[in-house]
Amino acid sequence: MSATALTSLRHDQRFRFALLTFPGALFVLVFLILPLLSIVVFSLWRTENYEIISDWNIENYKVILTTATYLKFLGRSVLMALAVSAICLVYAYPVAYLIAKHGGRFRLILILLTAAPFLTGVILRVTAIQHILGPIGLVNMALTTFGIEPIEVLMYSNIATAIGLVYLWIPFMILAIYLSLLNFDFELLEVAKVCGAKPWRAFIELTWPLNRMGTMIGIILVFVPTLAANVTPKFLGGVNGSLYGNILDHQFGATGTWALGSAMGVVLFVVSLVFIVIVWRSVNLRRSGFTGMESRQ
Amino acid sequence: MNNPVLRIDRVTKRFGAVQAVKGVSLDIDKGEFFAILGPSGSGKTTLLRIIAGLETPDVGTVHIADRDVTRLPPYERRIGMVFQDFLLFPHKTVSKNIAFPLKMQGVLATGQDEQVRWALDFVRLTEVADRYPHQLSGGQKQRVALARGLVARPEILLLDEPLANLDRELRKEMEVEVRRYQVELGIPFVYVTHNQEEALTMSDRIAVMDQGLFEQVGPKLEVYAKPANRFVASFVGSANRIVGSLVDVNGETASLDWDGEVLNVVRPNGAEKGDRVELFIKSERIRIDKPGDGESVNSTENRIRGRLLDIIFKGQYADYLVRLNNGAEIVVSDTPDISAVSRSDEVEVSWQVDAGDCFAVKGEATPQVSDN
Amino acid sequence: MSAVNPGERLVITSQTVMLIILYLFLYFPIFYITYLSFASNSVWPFPPEFTWEWYQRLGIMSDFHAGLRNSLIIGIGSGVVAALFATIAVIGILKYPMRGRGLLIGIYLSPLFVAQVLIGISTLMFNRNVLGLPGHIGSAIIANGTYGLSFAFLVLMAQLLRYDWRLDEVAMVFGARPARCFFEVTLPSVWPAVLGAFVVSFLLGFNNFDISFYNLGAIPTLPTIAWGTLRHGIEPELYALASIVNALVFVGLILLYVLIRSGYVRLGVPED
Repeated sequence: MSATALTSLRHDQRFRFALLTFPGALFVLVFLILPLLSIVVFSLWRTENYEIISDWNIENYKVILTTATYLKFLGRSVLMALAVSAICLVYAYPVAYLIAKHGGRFRLILILLTAAPFLTGVILRVTAIQHILGPIGLVNMALTTFGIEPIEVLMYSNIATAIGLVYLWIPFMILAIYLSLLNFDFELLEVAKVCGAKPWRAFIELTWPLNRMGTMIGIILVFVPTLAANVTPKFLGGVNGSLYGNILDHQFGATGTWALGSAMGVVLFVVSLVFIVIVWRSVNLRRSGFTGMESRQ
Repeated sequence: MNNPVLRIDRVTKRFGAVQAVKGVSLDIDKGEFFAILGPSGSGKTTLLRIIAGLETPDVGTVHIADRDVTRLPPYERRIGMVFQDFLLFPHKTVSKNIAFPLKMQGVLATGQDEQVRWALDFVRLTEVADRYPHQLSGGQKQRVALARGLVARPEILLLDEPLANLDRELRKEMEVEVRRYQVELGIPFVYVTHNQEEALTMSDRIAVMDQGLFEQVGPKLEVYAKPANRFVASFVGSANRIVGSLVDVNGETASLDWDGEVLNVVRPNGAEKGDRVELFIKSERIRIDKPGDGESVNSTENRIRGRLLDIIFKGQYADYLVRLNNGAEIVVSDTPDISAVSRSDEVEVSWQVDAGDCFAVKGEATPQVSDN
Repeated sequence: MSAVNPGERLVITSQTVMLIILYLFLYFPIFYITYLSFASNSVWPFPPEFTWEWYQRLGIMSDFHAGLRNSLIIGIGSGVVAALFATIAVIGILKYPMRGRGLLIGIYLSPLFVAQVLIGISTLMFNRNVLGLPGHIGSAIIANGTYGLSFAFLVLMAQLLRYDWRLDEVAMVFGARPARCFFEVTLPSVWPAVLGAFVVSFLLGFNNFDISFYNLGAIPTLPTIAWGTLRHGIEPELYALASIVNALVFVGLILLYVLIRSGYVRLGVPED
């Protein structure tokens, strides 16, 4: 028997694996990574008369990183994203915990119900929130009808934007924590109880660390889109509520400054990446989710 | 053996740096229930998968009913197989599960029904024909798996630790059942397990496997009573292990110094005075008596005094834990109504010299392979 | 199950309250909008006065039919692309434990960590300046397909982890050639998950704004129509639109639930 026949079964497996998994990966690489790379390139060029000219320069980055306005908006967006992520985290955790631990046979329907609104799309959701919060939204109209002053802060403000962003993205946080908790052995908490740990202690010592990975994923999944938010602040934020995403959007609309817009996009991506790396390392630097396994570094 | 149903010739299989199977050869006859017994990691499951065609050996051949199947994929080998985790198709009913091999062979629906009915009758499970696997108990699932393995009357049935996931009572029941199937159908079963009780109960011949090699192959009584080397002696049956040096050799026998006690042993091949040896004596081969009951010591017997530490009652027999006068502890299995002795009593243990298996510590006796 | 002491009961109760508030928070706006869509007075619709007017006006809105059609095309297109690629990828990853798995999973999930806006503008730039194409539906389908691919991947992964891939080996032992294995054993167990993945990707593509907006220029989709309407202030046709879309999502949700549930049975997962 030839040597090739002998090893064919193993090669066969590798071939089949590649055949199944490579096409989609290639698809993502070409249609996600390639365009991203292209805007990196464009960010280093120039715009003139609504056209991109391949004139290598770093002017765009200089503008973004030195002009106060851009930095201010970037900073505002970062703060907003952090705040929204924090709020989502604090609220999502107990809810996900409840469904995971006590949901029983209703777990699926409960979690699907939290996820479903996300599928209706950002515009409709913002519309819906606007009609609760806005000046002629339910809350304020109700108040006005009863002769009470409308709540200023709820309409066209950063608070409204924050509420809107939480409304949009909390399903992601819930889902990420929920999926992590599904694999968590709640019996461990019983063990902790027997060893004398009070509930809060058990949470800090066991639940939180063992689910850190899922929690961090949830935080990232909320932070990244929130950082780039443009629809929500536009319709809920009011005149002074613009965020980085709005200015970014602007570059591709009225002003047609493609190169600057590309640079802004790259900056946005880099900031997101930095955040992801920070969060990732905070998971790996301590004992990772799997008991007893010291992670690298 | 003439016309063995299964012939494995010097099969070797390597996974990366690890050699799972190292040049194993074997012939299995038509009417045999053959067990491959070994600890986990011994390569027994790999060997079974090679026979099934789920792995290809690096070296060597596999013949089933005179056909060279070494390079053939599993679906061309006409075998049956039963898996440890049952692995029934969850989306098919019991009937459809059992009918699957027939369907693959292109048997018509009417033929399928007939055979399936036969198979269900055979494993005594007719009433669950239309249920789904998740509605069955462990024992029922295993019977369905057996029915599926047998329905197409394969040349050979391979079983990969099929009873491992059943609880103790069920396992004992199934051991008898599975043996019955083999006897009634007359096709060879190749049964892989780490549980020596299963192997000893069900099989005709056993191969004891460790680290990719057969340590001993032979009829089960022989493997049990006459282990070829220290591994088989320690793995099969519950044996006490005694280590010491030979203080004297005399033809076929020798004397072993065991922490002060001198024992008579069968001399291992080529062992000389001063060599370190291991003595394995099965606990049921040892007798326990009140001291002074026996006659004077003769050279066909070893007698030692000690104190009874504990009695562990096992039903049909009891394990007696004895601390001997030389400080070592020994386990004796004997009938439980030696009511004469109780804890802390002085006792005397004895065994026949040739009831023990003695092996030199370095360089074992060559493994014996027995043909029939 | 342990006995629940008063402290735990308090925790569970407060968590339940939080969950209820969450559902109210999430769904009340949706229900209110639906209510508004049938109300003649959109500003203060109390007491209720029922009307179909807004739905009718929606129907004759200039871009509505084109937008609906385009959204459907994008939804189906990206859904099919995502479900197809994700299915074979998940099967490959779960069935053949090779070393590059982690990296591949990372690639498949990477779109989740890129803001949709970025996906939108980068594909826009890429199409415009590299490929020289104006905004068109194809690029929207592809861009949404990449985003939906991650979700499809997650849905399939979650379901197919329960599938015992050794069953393929079992089928082979009993005489099934590889292709037959797939149709006899794998596919019957797996198709609800595939359909579920499609539903999710479809809805995401159908309702997507940030990605499609940049890719399509003037070509309308339901979300871009909604956005246009929203900019002009409150127009009740928007509520009618929202209600229709929400109803669609609701149907999709029920379908998803049924599919996942049926998947449990097929894959042999015991009831809780």
